[in-house]
Amino acid sequence: MAISLKENLIIGFSDFWSRKIRSLITIIGIVLGTMSIIVVLALVKGINQQTMKWMLERGGLSKITVSRNWQYQNPENVKTYFTWKELQLIRSLIPEAKYFNPQQRHWVRQSYADKEYRTAIYGVLPDFSKIEEWDVEDGRFISDFDVEQSNDVIVIGTTVKEELFGNKNAIGEVITVEGRRLNVIGIMAFRYMKNSGAIGNENAFSYLNRQTFVPLSTMIHKGTGEDEISRFTLKAQDVKSAPALREKINNIVLNLRRGLPVFEVESAKEEAEKMAENQKMFSTIFYIISVISLLVGAIVIANIMLATIQERTREIGIRLTVGARRRDIFFQFLVQTILVTTIGGIIGVILGLSILDIVSNFLGIDLIASINMIFLALLVSSGIGFVSGIVPAIIASKLDPVEALRYE
Amino acid sequence: MSDIINIAGMKKEYKMGKITVPALNGVDFIINKGEFVAIMGPSGSGKSTLMHIIGCLDSPTAGKYYLNSELVSEMKKGKLAMIRNKQIGFVFQTFNLLPHLNILKNVELPLMYAGLSKKKRTQTAKKVLDEVGLSDRLKHKPSELSGGQRQRVAIARAIVNDPTIILADEPTGNLDTSSGADILSIFSELNDKGNTIIMVTHDPAVANRATRVINIVDGLIKDGNIS
Ligand SMILES: Nc1ncnc2c1ncn2[C@@H]1O[C@H](COP(=O)(O)OP(=O)(O)OP(=O)(O)O)[C@@H](O)[C@H]1O
Ligand SMILES: [Mg+2]
Repeated sequence: MAISLKENLIIGFSDFWSRKIRSLITIIGIVLGTMSIIVVLALVKGINQQTMKWMLERGGLSKITVSRNWQYQNPENVKTYFTWKELQLIRSLIPEAKYFNPQQRHWVRQSYADKEYRTAIYGVLPDFSKIEEWDVEDGRFISDFDVEQSNDVIVIGTTVKEELFGNKNAIGEVITVEGRRLNVIGIMAFRYMKNSGAIGNENAFSYLNRQTFVPLSTMIHKGTGEDEISRFTLKAQDVKSAPALREKINNIVLNLRRGLPVFEVESAKEEAEKMAENQKMFSTIFYIISVISLLVGAIVIANIMLATIQERTREIGIRLTVGARRRDIFFQFLVQTILVTTIGGIIGVILGLSILDIVSNFLGIDLIASINMIFLALLVSSGIGFVSGIVPAIIASKLDPVEALRYE
Repeated sequence: MSDIINIAGMKKEYKMGKITVPALNGVDFIINKGEFVAIMGPSGSGKSTLMHIIGCLDSPTAGKYYLNSELVSEMKKGKLAMIRNKQIGFVFQTFNLLPHLNILKNVELPLMYAGLSKKKRTQTAKKVLDEVGLSDRLKHKPSELSGGQRQRVAIARAIVNDPTIILADEPTGNLDTSSGADILSIFSELNDKGNTIIMVTHDPAVANRATRVINIVDGLIKDGNIS
């Protein structure tokens, strides 16, 4: 004649409802706790996914980048750039690298007819397009022949094209860059990042559309005249071999500068791994914080339940009088506590999802709470109900019927 | 045998720290089926204590208590809960209804612990509430009823499981004369239908309705085992 779980749930619900205000206050902690679990986990995951997407869109995981190490103060005054000759040596030492692209950047004024546009110009090799996985949508990209001959050619981004030419054809026209006349041979494909972290109306990839490219040799020999290249990128055969190649290049570069860490060599794959590691650490920290705050919530709930049971001592006496067994009383209060915290958990999850929706719209990033996160949040909230409900339930079930009836 | 209650050498002591307070000092009596017994005595004489033991809410310190030939005084607590549910209907001076439940739910309570289906429960509780004249108040909370009406709800709850005995500890103690009289009539009717009733009272007029009076003084039966 034990009463069923369903019966207990009905009692629990009607108790919850007849003490609405108290019940809501009881669950505030749980609501906030589960809400923060959902929001923080999804936020961490979403931002990392976004960064990963960015990385993949910018050449993938087999990409390796060598650039100036800004942490190194250069007290010995060694060269903080590579010469064209050094780069040719480096290339010959790493035949296993699939693509190789040293680059130089300058800010210049570019003009066509009466139009003028200030933008970045890059001296690159044909491999640039392969490494960045970014090709022309019109015309052609810089060729090996252009580099050999230091041809006066230029490839422009779509924004540059629009600024200087509008709707008119640009291929074959001549742009003047710092007094030098360059032939437009191609227009880069338009870049746009879906769900990017948009700041205002600016897309995260907009800056790419403002870039222009000339052969590196043209830039060195006919432009600046500076044989100083502080950055190069390359691509390993595949993602797996990227870390080893990174290590090899790091050694080569160190040897070229007497072992001084003038340059920084980064592999996208290792960056990604570092990121995953960070995410793990970050999540762990938040798990711990959530667990602590939820434990505090549990103590609060246990206290409220103890007070509730004292208040309801007479009710317990009455129930015992009409035939409730100790285990009926025990389950009544345990189920009720679990019910209360689970309702808190559900409200927390719903609030968390709504907040994610708002934040996600605001940042323009996909923030998705996985089923696992929701499941975890609910599991934790009902677990708290169990932990904080068990002691009060035992106390309730141990009450003496006559004593309980006497209680005022 | 027609004796429903058989109590022999019953003692009850309350321990309060080092002090032992005697409440019952060796009580013997038999109550037969269909009797309406009034228990009388001065305040503090042990009437409620006796009722709690008869109602299986408490256990005696010594002595034997047979209910329907079952030795209740030696039963485990779980078994006692079942006896309370199936064999005993208790009516208190202070009604003891659950304030947040409507009166239908209050009356259904013993049936719920008996494991009856929701449908059966509602059906039975409605019938009993009809018998005590409250079928138009099913959804009311106890606080919305008068004292006399509340006590009728309590009686309905006591009889809903069709118990072997109905126990009432000063059921008219909190009521005015006229509603007290109503409640007594209900008990008389129940007795006429064959129910066994034990009632604690201070009112000699009430005792007149009973078939027998047991007088208790200082935890002992004074006289009138058979009236
Ligand atoms: N829980 C308890 N702890 C200690 N002593 C108790 C307890 N319950 C009752 N007593 C004592 O037992 C004795 C009998 O009490 P009981 O309540 O049975 O009296 P009663 O006849 O019902 O009195 P009244 O007419 O005032 O209701 C009293 O002396 C009382 O103080
Ligand atoms: Mg009393």
